[in-house]
Amino acid sequence: MKFFSSFLILFAAMALFIGSCGENEKARSYLTKNEYEGAVAAWKLPEDWGENPSALGIMAGSFHVKTAEGPMGRIGVMPFRESVDISTIINMFAAELGHPDYNQTSILSLIQEIRLENRSFELVRLEDKKANTEPRSALLALYRAEGQTWLFPFVASRKLIDEQLENFHAFLSSTILRSGSTPLRAINPSPVPPSTLGHQPTWEAPDHWQRKPTTSIRMGNYVVSGESGESLDFSITSFPGDVGGILANVNRWLGQVGMDATDESGLSRYMSDRMIDEKPAKLVIAESNDQALYAAILFHEGRSWFLKLMGDRNLARSEKKNFIGLLDSFCLGDH
Amino acid sequence: MAEPKYFSSSLIQRRKNFAWLIPLADLRLTLTLLSLSMVLIFVATLEQVRVGIRGAQSEFFESFYGIWHYPEQFWWGEFLHPLPIPIPGGYLLGGSLIINLLAAFLTRFQWTGKKMGIQLIHFGIILLLVGQLATQALQEESRMLINKGGTVNYLERFHGVELAFIEVTNPNSSRVVAFPQKLLQQDGLHYFPDLPFKVRVLQFGPNCDFKALPPAIRATGPSESVNRGVAQSANLQIIPKPEDFSSEGMNFAYVVFELLDGAHSMGVWAAISHPAGNHFWAQIDPSIADLAFQPIRKNGELWGVSLRAEREYLPYSIELLGISNEFYQGTDIPYNFESEVLLRTDDNQSRRALVYMNTPLRHEGKTFYQYQMNKAADYTVFQVVRNPSWLIPYLACILVSIGLLWQFSFHLARFLSRNASSNHRTA
Repeated sequence: MKFFSSFLILFAAMALFIGSCGENEKARSYLTKNEYEGAVAAWKLPEDWGENPSALGIMAGSFHVKTAEGPMGRIGVMPFRESVDISTIINMFAAELGHPDYNQTSILSLIQEIRLENRSFELVRLEDKKANTEPRSALLALYRAEGQTWLFPFVASRKLIDEQLENFHAFLSSTILRSGSTPLRAINPSPVPPSTLGHQPTWEAPDHWQRKPTTSIRMGNYVVSGESGESLDFSITSFPGDVGGILANVNRWLGQVGMDATDESGLSRYMSDRMIDEKPAKLVIAESNDQALYAAILFHEGRSWFLKLMGDRNLARSEKKNFIGLLDSFCLGDH
Repeated sequence: MAEPKYFSSSLIQRRKNFAWLIPLADLRLTLTLLSLSMVLIFVATLEQVRVGIRGAQSEFFESFYGIWHYPEQFWWGEFLHPLPIPIPGGYLLGGSLIINLLAAFLTRFQWTGKKMGIQLIHFGIILLLVGQLATQALQEESRMLINKGGTVNYLERFHGVELAFIEVTNPNSSRVVAFPQKLLQQDGLHYFPDLPFKVRVLQFGPNCDFKALPPAIRATGPSESVNRGVAQSANLQIIPKPEDFSSEGMNFAYVVFELLDGAHSMGVWAAISHPAGNHFWAQIDPSIADLAFQPIRKNGELWGVSLRAEREYLPYSIELLGISNEFYQGTDIPYNFESEVLLRTDDNQSRRALVYMNTPLRHEGKTFYQYQMNKAADYTVFQVVRNPSWLIPYLACILVSIGLLWQFSFHLARFLSRNASSNHRTA
C-alpha cells in the first residue's frame, strides 16, 4: 500500500510537470511584410446601406439601400483585370434600360468626370427608356488605376438614386483600390475566344425577333418589339466557371426587374428543371408588376451559358412560347 | 527491519529520512520497467505499420498509455484481436524509471569514492531520461521552403494549423491575427482586440475529403450551415475523416466558423488547409482558389482568412542564393544536397552559409538541416529544429563515460595494488 501511495504522489507530480511544459495556447497578433499579391478593394458602407452576400457572383461587393419598404436598389463593386472600353461596360446595362448600343464616340456625351479624394471617377447615368411606371436608373461609376478598371453600378428607381447621391459619393470616396498581380474576383467581361470553345453554339430564333450585332459579351443579341412600343431584350452569354452560382445570378436578375432578392429556399418559386441540348439545365421565370424575366441556365464542361429574355411583362408572356422554342433548338455544337 | 551490515552509517541515516522512497527503489521494479519498455518498443514497432511513425510515436511514446489490439494475422488473432490491451506509454515508463533511479540514488547507493563510478553512471542515465522528456516537451520541428532567389522569414510547423486573419489594406505591412489549432479544437467564441469581429468556431477537424457539388444540390455535413465565402460560392461538401499519421499522409484540416459584429452574425465561413501550401488551391480548381485568401471587408479594411500551417515569424530572414545536388554515378541516388544561403538579421548583419547533409546552419537556438530539394522547381526545404535541451544527452553520455572509467580504473588500481602486495609477500 505504501509502495502504491508513494508511487502515485510522485507520478502525479511528474504528470503536472510534463503537462506544464506545453505552451499556453492563445491567439497571436503581429505585423509582417505585406505579401498579398491580389487586388485590394475595401470600403466603408454608408449607415443606411446593407450587404447582399448571396448576390455577389462576379462582384467583389453587392449592397442595397435600407428603406422603410425593405432593401431597395443594387449597388456593386466589379473589378476588371484590364482597362476595358467604357462603351463595353455601359452596353452591359444599356440594353436592359432600352438604350441603343453605344460606341466610343456616342458614349462621350454621357460621361461626367468627378474628383473624389484626389481621384478621378467617370460617371454615366442611364435613365430607363422602357418602363412607364417605376422608372429605373443606372448610375455607373468607373475608376481606372494601374491597368485595372473598377466599376461601381448603382441600379435603382430614379428617386432612390437621387436621394442616395451623397451616400454614393461618400462610398466612392471611402474606397481603397489597389490592383494586384492576381485577379480579385471577377473576370474580364468577354467570352472565351472561339478557338478555346472549339465549337460554336447554334439556335433558331423567331423571324420577328430583330437580330442585333453581337458584342464582346453577347454571342446572341436580339430585340423583340411590341405593337405599342414595348420591347424585350434577349441575350445569349457564356462565361468560364459558374460565375457565382445560380443564386447569385438569379438574384442579380431579380434586381434588374425590380424584384426582391431570394435565398436558396426561395429559388424554387422561380426555378424549374429543363433539358437543353440533352443536358440538365434550369429554367427561371420571374414576373413583377410590369417586367418579366425568362432565362435558362446551363452548366456544361466548366462553363456557364445564360439565355435570357427580359422586358415588358405582357409582351414577354406572349413571346414565352417562342422563347421555349428557342431553348429547344439550342445546340452547343459539341456532338 | 534491520539494515544489512555492509550499509554505511550515512546510508542508514538517508534510508531513515527517505523511508517512504524505499519501495520505489526496488531493483525488481527497475527490471519490470525495463521489460515493459521492451514490450512497448515491440508493440509500437508493430503499430507503426498501421499508423505510421508519427502515429505510433504519438499513441505509445508521447502518452501515459496506449491501447493495442493483437494483430489479426498472428496466431489466434481472430479470437484475440477484438480485445483492447492497455500498454504502458513512454511517459509512464520513462517517468517511472526516473523515479525508480532517483529513489535508488537516495536509499540504496553508497555515496563513497569507491562507488562514485556507479553513482555517475546512474546519474547519467537519469539525465538521459530527463533529457528525452524535456526534448519531447520542448522541441519544435518546422520547415522552411525557399524558392531560389527568394527570401523567407518564417517557419511552418510540420503538424498543426492556424486560422489566420490577415489585414492587407496597407501596402507595406500586414496585420495578422492567428488562432492556433489547439484553440480551434476547443470550439467556442474567441475575441482578439486587433480583430474588428469576434470568431465563433463551430467545427474543426484535422482531415477531410471535399468536393464541389452541382449548384442545385445542397451541401450537408460541416458545411451545411456555411453561407459566405468560397465554400458557399463553390458549394463545397466537406466530409470529415480521421487524421492520417502515415509519413505520406496528406491531411486537409478544416474549420467552420462564424464571424460576429457585436451580437450580429456576419455569416458562416469554412476554410480548408492544403497540406502542401494554400497556393495549390488555384491549381486544383480556380473556383476554390480563394481558400488561400477569403476576403472579408470591415470598417474600410480588407481582411483575408485562411487555414494554413502554423507559422512562426523570425527576427531574421534567409535568402536562397543557389542549390546543387549530386548523385552517385549512374544512379538516381543522391549523395549530397547543398543550399547556399544568405542570412540577414534585423540589425543589417548578414552571413553566407552552405547547408548540406550533416552540416546544418545554426542560428539563435535553431538548427536548419537540409531536408528536401527540387532542382527542377528551384526550391529547397530546410527542416528547422529548436531543442533547448539538445546538450543534455551529450552531458549524460559524458557522465556515464566518466563513471565507467572511474569504476574500471578503481577496480584496476585495486587489482594491481593487490597483485603487487601479493608478489611482494611471495618474494
